[in-house]
Amino acid sequence: MGAATLSRRGFAAILGAGAAGLAIGFRLDDAAAQQAAPQGPAMLRANPRMESWVRITPDGRITVLTGRVELGQGVLTAMRQIAAEELDVAPERLDLIAGDTAETANEGVTAGSQSIRFGGEALGVACADARATLLRVAADAWGADAATLRVEDGVILAANRRMTYAEAAGRVSLARPVDLTARRKPVAQQRIVGTSHPRTDIPAKVFGQQVFIHDMRPEGMLFGAIARPPGYAARLVSLDVAWARSLPGVVEVVRDGSFVGVIARREEQANDAARRIVQAATWRDGAPLFGGRGVFEHLLNAPSTTRTIHTTPAAEAQAARTHRVEYRRGFQAHASIGASCALAKWEDGRLTVWSHAQGPFPLRGDLSRGLRVPAESVRVIHVQGSGCYGHNGADDVALDAALLARAVPGRTVRVHWTHEEEMVWEPWGSAMVVRLEAGMSADGGLTSWAHDVWSFPHSTRPGGTSGCNLRSAWYLENPVPAPAPVDGPLPNGASARNAVPIYAVPGQRVTTHFHTDMPVRTSALRTLGGYFNAVAADMFLDECAALAGQDPVAYRLRHLRDPRLVAVLRRAVETSGWQPRAVTLGRPRVEGTQLVGTGVGLSKYKNSDSHVAVVARVAVDVPTGQVRVLGMWSATEAGRAVNPDGILNQIDGGIVQAASWTLMEEGRWDSRRMTTEDFASYPIIDFSHTPPIRSVLIDRPDLPSLGVGEGSQAPAGAAIANAILDATGRHVPEIPFTPERVLAALRG
Amino acid sequence: MVRLTVNGRTADADADPSTPLIYVLRNDLALNGPKLGCARGQCGACTVLVDGRPVRSCATRLGDAAAPHVVTTLEGLGTPDRPHPLQAAFIAEQAAQCGYCTSGMIMQAAALLAERREGLTEAQVAEALDHNLCRCGTQPRVVRAVLRAARQQGV
Repeated sequence: MGAATLSRRGFAAILGAGAAGLAIGFRLDDAAAQQAAPQGPAMLRANPRMESWVRITPDGRITVLTGRVELGQGVLTAMRQIAAEELDVAPERLDLIAGDTAETANEGVTAGSQSIRFGGEALGVACADARATLLRVAADAWGADAATLRVEDGVILAANRRMTYAEAAGRVSLARPVDLTARRKPVAQQRIVGTSHPRTDIPAKVFGQQVFIHDMRPEGMLFGAIARPPGYAARLVSLDVAWARSLPGVVEVVRDGSFVGVIARREEQANDAARRIVQAATWRDGAPLFGGRGVFEHLLNAPSTTRTIHTTPAAEAQAARTHRVEYRRGFQAHASIGASCALAKWEDGRLTVWSHAQGPFPLRGDLSRGLRVPAESVRVIHVQGSGCYGHNGADDVALDAALLARAVPGRTVRVHWTHEEEMVWEPWGSAMVVRLEAGMSADGGLTSWAHDVWSFPHSTRPGGTSGCNLRSAWYLENPVPAPAPVDGPLPNGASARNAVPIYAVPGQRVTTHFHTDMPVRTSALRTLGGYFNAVAADMFLDECAALAGQDPVAYRLRHLRDPRLVAVLRRAVETSGWQPRAVTLGRPRVEGTQLVGTGVGLSKYKNSDSHVAVVARVAVDVPTGQVRVLGMWSATEAGRAVNPDGILNQIDGGIVQAASWTLMEEGRWDSRRMTTEDFASYPIIDFSHTPPIRSVLIDRPDLPSLGVGEGSQAPAGAAIANAILDATGRHVPEIPFTPERVLAALRG
Repeated sequence: MVRLTVNGRTADADADPSTPLIYVLRNDLALNGPKLGCARGQCGACTVLVDGRPVRSCATRLGDAAAPHVVTTLEGLGTPDRPHPLQAAFIAEQAAQCGYCTSGMIMQAAALLAERREGLTEAQVAEALDHNLCRCGTQPRVVRAVLRAARQQGV
């Protein structure tokens, strides 16, 4: 085969980026969404230098930088649109650097549907400032009024004069703090923002060009694999390291306490050696998970911290009746198609890590503590991975690669976890219990609302100021323990995300029962607690509607005061053609051997971001309890839509993923570890079970852009749940709604 | 040494014939198309064509794909200058999010379209792709892209 087609491409381009230093001690996480304050975007106040956002140089290059990273959500296309709009430059002319600790702003973690709202606003203001500055250069040179000048694709134009950005950039320094008062273009003048600009990364993906971290092949690269203990609490007693070094293809074996990894010349040799080491080593088991109890029993009974975090004044009217329900959801996985991967290389005591983690800066901090080296000696460069949907193994594998590469200085080591390793060792989405209690007046109106949630942590990401949230650090001879987990505070919350009702009800109370001890390690799964809290609340609301004898849409409208939620609710129902009817508890809607029903879900993500309503129609097979989703319809409003097709891709994708979570997905474990380790034991939705979806977007150019990447998960789950209630007249309290659980409800 | 014919070229791989084909394609031949997913033949990300038939390259032994068998990966299907109708259709429909499963989807669909194009229904596409998993939830767009490609000439 010709050498030209098989060259090790792509790597040089990634290494080629310069190394302007920028180190800011700063942290943002899922739970701490930053509001744009009057004194300018929070991201700009934390990262004030212009050259962290945009660089226009006399050689004609225009480089745009973002601390946000591409996760498959299309954010870099949207950022390119925002920058191109403010600069008046064709989007494809911009060079883009994302998520590099040596180059870009520290924007914490790309998570929580915050990229456009916060990072996009900061980038837009920086680019607007750059454009205005260059315009002033031309205006001064020509003795003209800057307001009379215009820009076409990076060329400043007056009636009979022209000056390129490159020329103007030669006459002024843009290496300075951004002017926080710079004004972005009015919406009426936008030509690129608001259009469905095609994703810039898709062509490379359909032609097999180097895009993914898994495709990086630097010269002389070696392959690493980790020999994992047989359980989370197990520790290594003994291993014949000399024997392990003699296994086929093995270059080096690294043992540090209970951390054992192997470096080999070929990928399959590394994986095979790791498997054999696991078998040959002697391990000591730890205590059984959950003390042998079920997880819901554990959540409700093991010690937890109880805090009431939200209350509103009680109603004047007395409740005529009280309704109480408990809902449960088991552990759920990110289940990425491609397992986590990282490359690491040590040179002269300095470490470079290529990673698809969501937060290059937070990862750098935890790597430095886990490896006991100064943060300044570590550079983390983001390269795309398989979709992650939250905190999966992406961060952990970076430490694995660094620990192995330290044994072979000057050589790059790639570690690509196996899918089983990802499913067993990644942080899972927490199992949760929610209890809801409402007071209802004689006419069915809600008079109080209490939401109690029992949960493990939803964010144990890297990014703290002490300890190390990278798994292998806990297994070292001299371990670096994880910091104590914290729950994210309201308004956005973590375990209590979306536990504050979107409905106008007096006497609200939200109480968390937070577990910091994690027999199964948990962290951020797309929406954190938001999906399950909002699904439980919307299931509960439909039961209240049924008790009130009202249809679910009318009952929602009765309790809604937010016109944006009203608008998406009406639009989704209208799009679906559904004629809502009151549910009669205990009475199924029979069509042949099936029960057929329709339901709706409604959510304002984090109580602050996108407004999404979803309608679902389901058929329940009576003999088996199997639920089939016949169709789903949605309406979304998230303020100004930067890229409408990108939003619809996220909304529809979230609906499909939520259908999978809601109907199919549940982790199981034995005394040592999670055992749902492949797509057979932990199946996800396939093509033939994916329902037809019709989604509409309500653009509000008059309002700021809101986070949308996680907006449809909860209303999609709630719509399916409520369609099952409508079809069966029965309450099914535990997600996923497996045939066994639905059948039990039908027989109950 | 095992001799392979991949994308119309010949290559010799210095690996045991029992080695899963995926590792040779990706690591020895530096092909990015086939993606390593579950390594258990369950997700379809590693799908390539052997003599025009879709196979899971994680579950195919190198020796079983050796010449005179003919292996085709995403790179062999088309190029930016001469895209296969499926590649053009995936771009036109923006049928990806992270794109990790995309190569396997396209290869599986290429085998389907080689068999039949006329009168192809959504349900038939879904059935043909049922063992190709997508975690981002782009299934509806992928189906639209395959149907769009089926309407094009030159498959």
